[in-house]
Amino acid sequence: MKRLTLISFALLGAILLSACSSNATRGTSWPGLAADANNAYLANGQFIYAARLSDGAKLWQYPDKAGSQQFFATPLLTPDGQLVVGSAGTDQGLYSLNPATGQEKWTFASAKDRWIAAPLAINDILYAPNNDGSLYALKLATGQLLWSLSIGHPLWGAPVTDGKLIFLTSLDHFLYAIDPQSQKIVWKTDLGGSAAGSPVLSADQTTLYVGSFGSKIFAINAADGSTLWKANTNAWVWSDPVVNGSTIYITDINGQVYSLDASSGKNSWANITPDGPITGSPLLTTDGVIVTTESGSVYSLDHNGKVLWSTALGGKIYTAPVASGNLVLVAPLGAQYLLYAVNEKDGSMLPWHFDGK
Amino acid sequence: MFSDPWGFFILNPFTNVLLLIYNHVGLNFGLAVILFTILIRAITWPLTGQQLKGAKVMQELQSDKEWLDIQKKYAKDREKLAQEQMRIYQERGINPLASCLPTLIQFPIIIGLYQSVTRALAATPLTLLQLARSIYPFMNASAIIPLNSHFLWMDLGRPEGLPFPAGLAISFLPYGFPTLAIIVALTTYLQTKLTLPPSSNPNDQAAAMNSMMTIYMPLFLGWLVLNYASGLAVYFVTSNVLGIVQYGMMGRVNWRNLLPGGSKPAPSNVKKNK
Repeated sequence: MKRLTLISFALLGAILLSACSSNATRGTSWPGLAADANNAYLANGQFIYAARLSDGAKLWQYPDKAGSQQFFATPLLTPDGQLVVGSAGTDQGLYSLNPATGQEKWTFASAKDRWIAAPLAINDILYAPNNDGSLYALKLATGQLLWSLSIGHPLWGAPVTDGKLIFLTSLDHFLYAIDPQSQKIVWKTDLGGSAAGSPVLSADQTTLYVGSFGSKIFAINAADGSTLWKANTNAWVWSDPVVNGSTIYITDINGQVYSLDASSGKNSWANITPDGPITGSPLLTTDGVIVTTESGSVYSLDHNGKVLWSTALGGKIYTAPVASGNLVLVAPLGAQYLLYAVNEKDGSMLPWHFDGK
Repeated sequence: MFSDPWGFFILNPFTNVLLLIYNHVGLNFGLAVILFTILIRAITWPLTGQQLKGAKVMQELQSDKEWLDIQKKYAKDREKLAQEQMRIYQERGINPLASCLPTLIQFPIIIGLYQSVTRALAATPLTLLQLARSIYPFMNASAIIPLNSHFLWMDLGRPEGLPFPAGLAISFLPYGFPTLAIIVALTTYLQTKLTLPPSSNPNDQAAAMNSMMTIYMPLFLGWLVLNYASGLAVYFVTSNVLGIVQYGMMGRVNWRNLLPGGSKPAPSNVKKNK
């Protein structure tokens, strides 16, 4: 009896100890990454960092000292030279920074919830989706609120535009088309599950491709929202698709990569599964696509799905890889460094690593 | 399973039961949290009863004449004191761990309940990804997500606060007047105060610690609720109210504790079980 009691308590102790290391208690950060020709802009934890790509030197960080900000969203480099990024912290602020210095230009803090999606800049207006279910239209130069449109459930995907309409996914299972002139919803299409990624437009801007947690990818007529085709995936689609001519590349959270025919949705790759779940969007390269996995690896696949190279960085990679010249930038979570740069051609790592210090 | 035993044995089953309740109460997450807390409290009821019984026996022992005598007699001989204490335990059939073992077993259950509420709310991309992996295949996760987090006047995924009148803003209360934080602090205070065991010994360290807990615990939980999702507050309030009810049903609520200086020692009535 005593032995049984001892064994029971040893098991109980082991389970209790595992509670401390369980996923439930780990951090909730989700890095966002953008880059121009010379610098990378990394939203990670409580800071935005600017790192020089030639040597990995830190140019600036925002804010100087940790505050109530928490950054999950991908920073947006606007055509007029701003870096706009929203905070998922209690401040609920959308910040415009000078990408050269990190100086704050304006702040919009009137949303009712946190920012997880990246905004979209069209001419002199910024369209920013918020977790409170509203799309906010702000004057790009000043951050002044022009109007807002309540859609409903949290908005986590960055909007895209064909120049006339704004297309936006929602966790409420729908893809929305919004007319920024009338500030009204033109159409909405059920995606069979929540969507956390963005839609992508075909080259002729007539068709939208978008994945959902309903384990499906859709081709949707951008003019009226009608479904042209839908294809099944093996698991939730978190990432944005990428379009390469007549091919759509998309990934799911089970770690499978799909190459679909843009006109029919037929998958031409059989069971291409790198080493772990994929939430970041694929990155189109001249040789094929690059995908990053939750297992902390970067894979380059050619247009037939053959692995050209792979590099293990460690940590967990949730964020989509970003290109700058012939470099591929990757921001893992929980790895030794915050930002890595690898060569697009062979996956070799650059000698510098950015640790935020 | 072996890489994450906590998730496999505790957190995932709890999360799925919570979501199952949510599915059956008209997709009302607030009601699901209340019913889930009641369910867990009901399951752990015998353990709580055993814990209270053990604690009562130990409490009564503290004012027993024979017990107090050996404390004085062997104050400088710890080894002998321990032997005498063991003798009294054996003679009276007391298990000194009887109140602490049920608490140990309840501990992972309470942590699991708390974590499952947080996980189900899935307020960030990473927690949503974790939730997706926690949900059993028969539950159809894509249909459940996103959860309807509106309950009464609250969004359970965000800290609670009633809006201040126009023009009034308080910088350290960014979400408005914290009604729920006050209710949580009040119910925690009531639960701790009402269930505080009386002590006859002015040097009793445990009593001093309990007394401090009546102040710090409500403040701590109130602060948590100010800053975290209000779904947790619904859990805290339900749990506190159920705790008072359960103690009351077992005759362990000491209403005199609410009065100034009302905490008086219970008479010694530990029977010798020879």
